[in-house]
Amino acid sequence: MAKKLIYALGVLTLLIGLWGFYDRLVFGEQHVNYGSAVVWGLWVAMYFFFGGVAVGSFLVASLDYLFEIKAFEGYGKPALWTSLVTLAAAMASIGFDLGHMERIWKAFVQFNPHSGIIEDVWGYTIFGVLALIALILALRGQKGTTLKIVMVLGFIAALYVAGAPGKLLGNNATRPYWHMALLPLQFLFMALTSGAAMMLLVQAFLSPKEPAPLATLVLRVALIVLLILSAYSTWAFFSQSLYGNIPSLIASVKQLTSGQYAGLFWGLEIGLGTLLPLVLLFVPDLTKNKLAGGLIGLCVLVGNAVARYLIVVPGLNVSVLKNIETAHIGRGLTLSYSPSTIEWAVVSGLVGIILLALALGTDYLPLYKKEA
Amino acid sequence: MSQETTGLLEKYASEVFAGLVAPALEGMEISAAPADDLLAKEDVLVRMERELKRALEKPASERRWVMVIDLRKCIGCHACTVACVAENKLPPGVVYRPVLEEEFGTYPNVTMKFLPRPCMHCENSPCTEVCPVNATYHNEEGIVVVDYEQCIGCRACIAACPYGARTFDFGETYTEQLPVIFDGVLIGSKTAAAYEHASQEYGQAWKREGRHESPVGNVRKCHFCLHRIKDGILPACVTTCIGRATFFGDANDPDSLVSELISKPNVIRLKEELGTEPRVYYIV
Ligand code: SF4
Ligand code: SF4
Repeated sequence: MAKKLIYALGVLTLLIGLWGFYDRLVFGEQHVNYGSAVVWGLWVAMYFFFGGVAVGSFLVASLDYLFEIKAFEGYGKPALWTSLVTLAAAMASIGFDLGHMERIWKAFVQFNPHSGIIEDVWGYTIFGVLALIALILALRGQKGTTLKIVMVLGFIAALYVAGAPGKLLGNNATRPYWHMALLPLQFLFMALTSGAAMMLLVQAFLSPKEPAPLATLVLRVALIVLLILSAYSTWAFFSQSLYGNIPSLIASVKQLTSGQYAGLFWGLEIGLGTLLPLVLLFVPDLTKNKLAGGLIGLCVLVGNAVARYLIVVPGLNVSVLKNIETAHIGRGLTLSYSPSTIEWAVVSGLVGIILLALALGTDYLPLYKKEA
Repeated sequence: MSQETTGLLEKYASEVFAGLVAPALEGMEISAAPADDLLAKEDVLVRMERELKRALEKPASERRWVMVIDLRKCIGCHACTVACVAENKLPPGVVYRPVLEEEFGTYPNVTMKFLPRPCMHCENSPCTEVCPVNATYHNEEGIVVVDYEQCIGCRACIAACPYGARTFDFGETYTEQLPVIFDGVLIGSKTAAAYEHASQEYGQAWKREGRHESPVGNVRKCHFCLHRIKDGILPACVTTCIGRATFFGDANDPDSLVSELISKPNVIRLKEELGTEPRVYYIV
């Protein structure tokens, strides 16, 4: 029943997405709302979010194949598949955001080694290749030294790319909201959190097996710790600006705490995505129910996605030079941004692809077959 | 208006005016400059054009192009913004040289400040550092350029620029909504589009056709009109400035006008504290 729901949701969201994909590929970036002031929007936020889920899921797989924790036996393959599927969605999301996605090969051949984007591109590519090799080995039942080595390398790559987006944003010294040493760490915590949450979701709605009680307990405790760490890093990140109280430095943070994004921040990121799951995770009987666990995972993921959006957009919708935003009018020159329907449609399509790929993987790949 | 009325107005208006200004001029010696002298004086454009040609005789790496903008002379007419749009055929949303306006005081003590803002062509440019594919870089003369065929359109350079000097080409045009009837006879969308699309930036003919052809999907910015400079012509914003408030030239030439201007203490650069070393100076 749960899987049928996933299929239905997957088809529906993909159908909406096909319109978005068509529009983007035929009309270019005519119908997007990001511009020359707010240069990155929903697609970049989703790139960070899907990329974080991919990394987090890989780290869950490493509990099985690298650290060989008994409680996580059998989690490796579904976690690796989830990792690859969400990574593909992340790459598609950032691809759509590029003015010339067909030139992405240049990032491998004619690259600038100082660029944060290059570190991301190379990091995710190496990580993706390692995750793919690990999955192939695992599907073939080759759980030997080779898989171990691949998992060690993948583990290092995963930790690196988990924080890399924070560095990519943070090296813009002209954007005080991002230019904080804590940002890469915050991205790391968020990636780990989303990985654990995704596993709760997968085991609730897709896995044909009953979840192992010990693994559920570990995921639950891990999620509690990670949610607290994420919330703490958000507080540390904000407090550095807020306590200084220099207007230009707190312009972005204030949008979240009391400005235009207060509803999203307090309601979805903190309320739905952090506090509610924290309270529910402390109820032992509730998390033994896999469906309840899945819904908790879903809340965490929604909060996590919103958190990425609230890092990307408020960093950009502040003026870099006094009165520049009123000096000219025209397409994309304003500081206000909300995603267009095409942007939402594309994200819907990517979610659809993820849902369908996860469901199809469950049905047609031996993800849950016991290894010899 | 009858001749009689005009005569009356001239007489009394000038009397009223004289009455108003006379107290302020008391004790001052006033003499009108002879028209001949004014005509004999060389326009700064002529001098700068001559110096430009002199600079072009040197090897490229020995030139140091700088722009100087005299904020005391700028009247906020935006002619430079428009000249730049016309010269580079900039589409909607792409602006290389806006004029920032700021109002001071409260009525009746109000004044405006105007700040034209081209690309600063920073010597330590944050925009070039972040470009993943080296599509934006300093050319041999130190000008920060964008290679449209190389740019992947990630917009990281826009996020990195502290001066908001870059904009993205989303593929829009001013002319696509024009009627097509009588195209070519009366001006129609195709004829108008031909004017709008024929940019000569970086000395190349950019057709900019369709939704995907560069510079659509690229980041664009001021390049000091390199395509004009190479032919010994000053940037469009400089020649269009009606207040003669914008100057351009080689700061490595000690006899140039720009060298003279930037050696004064009333010269500033924007966000000097960042250490970006802009090549645009403001006289305040
Ligand atoms: S003003 Fe901006 S775009 Fe121009 S060189 Fe400096 S950093 Fe680059
Ligand atoms: S938009 Fe183009 S020029 Fe700017 S950083 Fe990206 S690839 Fe480089």
